Amino acid sequence: MTGHVFGLGIGLAAMGVAIGLGLIGYSAMQGMSRQPEAIGKIQTAMLIALAFVELVFLLAVFVLPGSLKV
Amino acid sequence: MGTTLGIGSSLWAAGGGEHHGLSWLGMMVYIALVLGIVFFALSRAKQDFGQRVFKGFWSQLLEQVYLFIENLCVGIIGAHGRKYIPFILTFWLVIFVSNVVALFFPTSPTADLSFNLGVALIAIGYVQWEGMKANGVLGHFKHFAGPKLPPALLLISFMIFIIEIISEVMKNVSLSLRLFGNIEGGHQAVVAMNNLGGSFVPVGFLLMPIKILTCIVQALIFSLLTCVYLSLVTHHEDDHHHDEAGEPAGHSEAQPAAAH
Repeated sequence: MTGHVFGLGIGLAAMGVAIGLGLIGYSAMQGMSRQPEAIGKIQTAMLIALAFVELVFLLAVFVLPGSLKV
Repeated sequence: MGTTLGIGSSLWAAGGGEHHGLSWLGMMVYIALVLGIVFFALSRAKQDFGQRVFKGFWSQLLEQVYLFIENLCVGIIGAHGRKYIPFILTFWLVIFVSNVVALFFPTSPTADLSFNLGVALIAIGYVQWEGMKANGVLGHFKHFAGPKLPPALLLISFMIFIIEIISEVMKNVSLSLRLFGNIEGGHQAVVAMNNLGGSFVPVGFLLMPIKILTCIVQALIFSLLTCVYLSLVTHHEDDHHHDEAGEPAGHSEAQPAAAH
Protein backbone atom coordinates (compact mmCIF):
# COMPACT_ATOMS: atom_id res chain seq x y z
CA MET A 1 0.00 0.00 0.00
CA THR A 2 2.73 2.45 0.97
CA GLY A 3 4.49 1.63 -2.28
CA HIS A 4 1.43 2.81 -4.18
CA VAL A 5 1.25 5.98 -2.13
CA PHE A 6 4.95 6.54 -2.73
CA GLY A 7 4.55 6.12 -6.47
CA LEU A 8 1.61 8.48 -6.59
CA GLY A 9 3.49 11.02 -4.47
CA ILE A 10 6.57 10.84 -6.71
CA GLY A 11 4.37 11.28 -9.76
CA LEU A 12 2.62 14.30 -8.29
CA ALA A 13 5.92 15.83 -7.21
CA ALA A 14 7.41 15.28 -10.65
CA MET A 15 4.36 16.89 -12.26
CA GLY A 16 4.48 19.95 -10.03
CA VAL A 17 8.21 20.40 -10.41
CA ALA A 18 7.96 19.98 -14.18
CA ILE A 19 5.35 22.72 -14.33
CA GLY A 20 7.53 24.95 -12.16
CA LEU A 21 10.66 24.34 -14.23
CA GLY A 22 8.68 24.96 -17.41
CA LEU A 23 7.41 28.27 -16.07
CA ILE A 24 10.94 29.33 -15.11
CA GLY A 25 12.32 28.42 -18.51
CA TYR A 26 9.40 30.07 -20.26
CA SER A 27 9.70 33.40 -18.52
CA ALA A 28 13.51 33.37 -18.63
CA MET A 29 13.50 32.78 -22.37
CA GLN A 30 10.91 35.48 -22.84
CA GLY A 31 12.98 37.89 -20.82
CA MET A 32 16.16 36.98 -22.67
CA SER A 33 14.56 37.47 -26.08
CA ARG A 34 13.16 40.82 -25.05
CA GLN A 35 16.40 42.04 -23.52
CA PRO A 36 19.35 40.17 -25.01
CA GLU A 37 21.78 42.47 -23.22
CA ALA A 38 20.54 41.19 -19.84
CA ILE A 39 21.14 37.51 -20.66
CA GLY A 40 23.89 37.09 -18.07
CA LYS A 41 21.84 38.41 -15.18
CA ILE A 42 18.70 36.54 -16.22
CA GLN A 43 20.63 33.30 -16.55
CA THR A 44 22.04 33.64 -13.04
CA ALA A 45 18.63 34.29 -11.52
CA MET A 46 17.13 31.52 -13.63
CA LEU A 47 19.69 28.99 -12.40
CA ILE A 48 19.07 29.95 -8.77
CA ALA A 49 15.29 29.60 -9.14
CA LEU A 50 15.78 26.35 -11.03
CA ALA A 51 17.91 24.94 -8.24
CA PHE A 52 15.32 25.75 -5.61
CA VAL A 53 12.46 24.24 -7.57
CA GLU A 54 14.48 21.14 -8.36
CA LEU A 55 15.21 20.69 -4.68
CA VAL A 56 11.50 20.13 -3.99
CA PHE A 57 11.51 17.02 -6.14
CA LEU A 58 14.71 15.73 -4.54
CA LEU A 59 13.20 16.29 -1.10
CA ALA A 60 10.14 14.34 -2.20
CA VAL A 61 12.29 11.49 -3.49
CA PHE A 62 14.58 11.26 -0.46
CA VAL A 63 12.35 12.35 2.42
CA LEU A 64 9.03 10.76 1.47
CA PRO A 65 10.29 7.14 1.76
CA GLY A 66 11.61 7.90 5.23
CA SER A 67 8.35 9.45 6.38
CA LEU A 68 6.28 6.57 4.96
CA LYS A 69 8.64 3.91 6.35
CA VAL A 70 8.62 1.90 3.14
CA MET B 1 27.89 -1.70 -9.12
CA GLY B 2 31.41 -2.32 -7.88
CA THR B 3 31.73 -5.57 -9.78
CA THR B 4 31.30 -4.12 -13.28
CA LEU B 5 34.99 -3.23 -13.39
CA GLY B 6 37.17 -5.99 -12.06
CA ILE B 7 40.32 -4.02 -11.48
CA GLY B 8 40.67 -1.65 -8.58
CA SER B 9 37.42 -2.64 -6.97
CA SER B 10 38.82 -1.52 -3.66
CA LEU B 11 38.57 2.09 -4.83
CA TRP B 12 34.90 2.13 -3.91
CA ALA B 13 33.14 0.38 -1.11
CA ALA B 14 31.75 -2.75 -2.71
CA GLY B 15 30.08 -3.95 0.46
CA GLY B 16 26.39 -4.73 0.61
CA GLY B 17 23.70 -2.46 1.91
CA GLU B 18 22.83 1.01 0.79
CA HIS B 19 26.30 2.48 0.72
CA HIS B 20 27.81 2.87 -2.73
CA GLY B 21 30.31 5.57 -1.89
CA LEU B 22 34.04 5.71 -2.17
CA SER B 23 36.39 3.91 0.15
CA TRP B 24 39.20 5.83 1.81
CA LEU B 25 41.61 4.72 -0.90
CA GLY B 26 39.24 5.97 -3.57
CA MET B 27 38.94 9.31 -1.79
CA MET B 28 42.73 9.61 -1.61
CA VAL B 29 43.00 8.84 -5.33
CA TYR B 30 40.36 11.47 -6.04
CA ILE B 31 42.15 14.09 -3.93
CA ALA B 32 45.39 13.23 -5.74
CA LEU B 33 43.57 13.75 -9.05
CA VAL B 34 42.32 17.22 -8.06
CA LEU B 35 45.71 18.20 -6.62
CA GLY B 36 47.34 16.96 -9.82
CA ILE B 37 45.07 19.20 -11.88
CA VAL B 38 45.88 22.16 -9.64
CA PHE B 39 49.64 21.60 -9.83
CA PHE B 40 49.44 21.03 -13.58
CA ALA B 41 47.61 24.36 -13.91
CA LEU B 42 50.18 26.09 -11.73
CA SER B 43 53.13 24.68 -13.65
CA ARG B 44 51.60 25.66 -17.00
CA ALA B 45 50.73 29.13 -15.74
CA LYS B 46 54.27 29.60 -14.44
CA GLN B 47 55.70 29.00 -17.91
CA ASP B 48 53.70 31.94 -19.24
CA PHE B 49 54.42 34.28 -16.36
CA GLY B 50 56.93 36.53 -18.09
CA GLN B 51 54.83 37.18 -21.18
CA ARG B 52 52.32 39.94 -21.69
CA VAL B 53 49.55 37.60 -22.85
CA PHE B 54 49.00 33.90 -22.22
CA LYS B 55 49.94 32.01 -25.37
CA GLY B 56 49.87 28.38 -24.24
CA PHE B 57 46.72 26.35 -24.78
CA TRP B 58 46.42 25.20 -21.18
CA SER B 59 47.09 28.56 -19.62
CA GLN B 60 44.49 30.16 -21.89
CA LEU B 61 41.97 27.47 -20.98
CA LEU B 62 42.63 27.87 -17.27
CA GLU B 63 42.48 31.64 -17.62
CA GLN B 64 38.98 31.23 -19.03
CA VAL B 65 38.02 29.09 -16.04
CA TYR B 66 39.41 31.75 -13.71
CA LEU B 67 37.54 34.51 -15.56
CA PHE B 68 34.32 32.50 -15.36
CA ILE B 69 34.60 32.20 -11.59
CA GLU B 70 35.67 35.83 -11.30
CA ASN B 71 32.57 36.93 -13.21
CA LEU B 72 30.46 34.78 -10.91
CA CYS B 73 31.95 36.27 -7.73
CA VAL B 74 32.12 39.89 -8.83
CA GLY B 75 28.72 39.74 -10.52
CA ILE B 76 26.88 38.36 -7.52
CA ILE B 77 28.79 39.50 -4.43
CA GLY B 78 29.98 42.83 -5.79
CA ALA B 79 33.40 44.44 -5.90
CA HIS B 80 34.50 42.95 -2.57
CA GLY B 81 33.72 39.48 -3.92
CA ARG B 82 37.16 39.31 -5.49
CA LYS B 83 38.68 37.92 -2.31
CA TYR B 84 36.33 34.90 -2.39
CA ILE B 85 37.58 33.75 -5.80
CA PRO B 86 40.02 31.09 -4.47
CA PHE B 87 37.33 29.67 -2.21
CA ILE B 88 34.68 29.45 -4.92
CA LEU B 89 37.19 28.23 -7.50
CA THR B 90 38.22 25.38 -5.18
CA PHE B 91 34.60 24.35 -4.72
CA TRP B 92 33.93 24.54 -8.42
CA LEU B 93 37.01 22.50 -9.29
CA VAL B 94 36.38 19.80 -6.69
CA ILE B 95 32.72 19.39 -7.59
CA PHE B 96 33.16 19.63 -11.34
CA VAL B 97 36.01 17.12 -11.46
CA SER B 98 34.05 14.80 -9.22
CA ASN B 99 30.96 15.08 -11.43
CA VAL B 100 33.03 14.32 -14.51
CA VAL B 101 34.59 11.34 -12.74
CA ALA B 102 31.02 10.09 -12.27
CA LEU B 103 30.68 9.79 -16.05
CA PHE B 104 33.42 7.19 -16.36
CA PHE B 105 33.40 5.26 -13.09
CA PRO B 106 30.74 3.41 -11.14
CA THR B 107 30.84 5.94 -8.36
CA SER B 108 32.28 9.33 -7.54
CA PRO B 109 32.65 11.48 -4.44
CA THR B 110 29.61 13.63 -5.24
CA ALA B 111 27.43 10.52 -5.64
CA ASP B 112 27.95 10.04 -1.91
CA LEU B 113 25.85 12.09 0.48
CA SER B 114 28.54 12.17 3.18
CA PHE B 115 31.06 13.91 0.91
CA ASN B 116 28.44 16.42 -0.24
CA LEU B 117 27.35 17.13 3.32
CA GLY B 118 30.97 17.73 4.27
CA VAL B 119 31.47 20.16 1.41
CA ALA B 120 28.20 21.93 2.22
CA LEU B 121 29.15 22.21 5.91
CA ILE B 122 32.46 23.80 4.92
CA ALA B 123 30.65 26.24 2.62
CA ILE B 124 27.94 27.27 5.09
CA GLY B 125 30.41 27.41 7.99
CA TYR B 126 32.60 29.74 6.00
CA VAL B 127 29.54 31.85 5.21
CA GLN B 128 28.82 32.18 8.95
CA TRP B 129 32.46 33.09 9.60
CA GLU B 130 32.40 35.77 6.93
CA GLY B 131 29.10 37.10 8.24
CA MET B 132 30.57 37.39 11.72
CA LYS B 133 33.65 39.10 10.32
CA ALA B 134 31.56 41.58 8.34
CA ASN B 135 28.85 42.41 10.90
CA GLY B 136 30.31 41.31 14.21
CA VAL B 137 29.07 38.26 16.10
CA LEU B 138 26.03 40.03 17.56
CA GLY B 139 25.28 41.79 14.30
CA HIS B 140 25.36 38.49 12.48
CA PHE B 141 22.84 36.95 14.85
CA LYS B 142 20.72 40.11 14.80
CA HIS B 143 20.63 39.70 11.05
CA PHE B 144 18.70 36.47 11.59
CA ALA B 145 15.95 38.27 13.49
CA GLY B 146 14.69 40.02 10.40
CA PRO B 147 13.81 43.71 10.13
CA LYS B 148 13.67 45.99 13.16
CA LEU B 149 10.19 45.76 14.67
CA PRO B 150 8.62 47.73 17.54
CA PRO B 151 8.99 46.13 21.01
CA ALA B 152 5.38 44.98 20.99
CA LEU B 153 6.22 42.59 18.18
CA LEU B 154 9.14 40.95 20.01
CA LEU B 155 7.45 37.57 19.71
CA ILE B 156 7.32 37.90 15.92
CA SER B 157 11.03 38.75 15.85
CA PHE B 158 11.77 35.72 17.98
CA MET B 159 9.78 33.47 15.64
CA ILE B 160 11.56 34.93 12.61
CA PHE B 161 14.85 34.22 14.38
CA ILE B 162 13.92 30.57 14.94
CA ILE B 163 12.76 30.14 11.35
CA GLU B 164 15.90 31.79 9.99
CA ILE B 165 18.10 29.50 12.10
CA ILE B 166 16.21 26.48 10.77
CA SER B 167 16.57 27.71 7.21
CA GLU B 168 20.28 28.29 7.79
CA VAL B 169 20.67 24.68 8.91
CA MET B 170 18.55 23.51 5.99
CA LYS B 171 20.92 25.28 3.61
CA ASN B 172 23.44 22.51 4.34
CA VAL B 173 20.84 19.87 3.60
CA SER B 174 19.63 21.57 0.45
CA LEU B 175 23.12 22.14 -0.98
CA SER B 176 24.25 18.58 -0.34
CA LEU B 177 20.99 16.87 -1.23
CA ARG B 178 20.70 18.73 -4.52
CA LEU B 179 24.15 17.68 -5.65
CA PHE B 180 23.72 14.12 -4.40
CA GLY B 181 20.25 13.74 -5.91
CA ASN B 182 21.30 14.97 -9.32
CA ILE B 183 24.45 12.87 -9.63
CA GLU B 184 23.08 9.73 -7.99
CA GLY B 185 19.79 10.15 -9.86
CA GLY B 186 21.76 10.25 -13.09
CA HIS B 187 23.47 7.01 -12.11
CA GLN B 188 20.17 5.35 -11.32
CA ALA B 189 18.71 6.52 -14.62
CA VAL B 190 21.66 5.05 -16.52
CA VAL B 191 21.31 1.76 -14.62
CA ALA B 192 17.59 1.64 -15.41
CA MET B 193 18.22 2.37 -19.09
CA ASN B 194 20.91 -0.33 -19.19
CA ASN B 195 18.48 -2.85 -17.75
CA LEU B 196 16.05 -1.80 -20.47
CA GLY B 197 18.58 -2.66 -23.17
CA GLY B 198 19.30 -6.16 -21.91
CA SER B 199 22.79 -7.55 -21.50
CA PHE B 200 24.32 -6.38 -24.78
CA VAL B 201 23.00 -2.91 -25.63
CA PRO B 202 24.25 -0.13 -23.32
CA VAL B 203 21.27 2.18 -23.87
CA GLY B 204 22.33 4.21 -20.86
CA PHE B 205 25.05 5.70 -23.02
CA LEU B 206 22.36 7.78 -24.72
CA LEU B 207 21.98 9.68 -21.46
CA MET B 208 25.57 10.93 -21.70
CA PRO B 209 24.78 14.43 -23.10
CA ILE B 210 22.24 15.23 -20.41
CA LYS B 211 24.62 13.87 -17.76
CA ILE B 212 27.40 16.15 -18.99
CA LEU B 213 24.95 19.05 -18.85
CA THR B 214 23.99 18.06 -15.29
CA CYS B 215 27.66 17.90 -14.30
CA ILE B 216 28.34 21.43 -15.50
CA VAL B 217 25.11 22.92 -14.15
CA GLN B 218 25.37 21.31 -10.72
CA ALA B 219 28.96 22.47 -10.18
CA LEU B 220 27.87 25.93 -11.32
CA ILE B 221 24.82 25.95 -9.06
CA PHE B 222 26.80 24.94 -5.97
CA SER B 223 29.32 27.74 -6.52
CA LEU B 224 26.53 30.17 -7.44
CA LEU B 225 24.51 29.45 -4.31
CA THR B 226 27.61 29.75 -2.12
CA CYS B 227 28.20 33.15 -3.74
CA VAL B 228 24.58 34.14 -3.09
CA TYR B 229 24.79 33.11 0.56
CA LEU B 230 28.07 35.03 0.92
CA SER B 231 26.52 38.10 -0.66
CA LEU B 232 23.51 37.83 1.67
CA VAL B 233 25.64 37.95 4.82
CA THR B 234 28.20 40.49 3.63
CA HIS B 235 26.07 42.92 1.66
CA HIS B 236 25.48 45.26 4.61
CA GLU B 237 29.08 46.33 4.36
CA ASP B 238 28.53 46.99 0.68
CA ASP B 239 25.38 48.99 1.40
CA HIS B 240 27.27 51.29 3.73
CA HIS B 241 29.83 51.90 1.02
CA HIS B 242 27.04 52.73 -1.37
CA ASP B 243 25.50 55.09 1.14
CA GLU B 244 28.78 56.87 1.69
CA ALA B 245 29.42 57.07 -2.02
CA GLY B 246 25.85 58.18 -2.63
CA GLU B 247 25.85 60.94 -0.03
CA PRO B 248 27.80 63.58 -1.96
CA ALA B 249 25.58 63.07 -5.00
CA GLY B 250 22.52 63.35 -2.77
CA HIS B 251 23.83 66.60 -1.28
CA SER B 252 24.47 68.12 -4.68
CA GLU B 253 20.93 67.30 -5.67
CA ALA B 254 19.52 68.56 -2.42
CA GLN B 255 21.34 71.88 -2.48
CA PRO B 256 19.52 73.42 -5.44
CA ALA B 257 16.25 72.40 -3.85
CA ALA B 258 17.33 74.14 -0.64
CA ALA B 259 18.36 77.22 -2.62
CA HIS B 260 14.86 77.50 -4.00
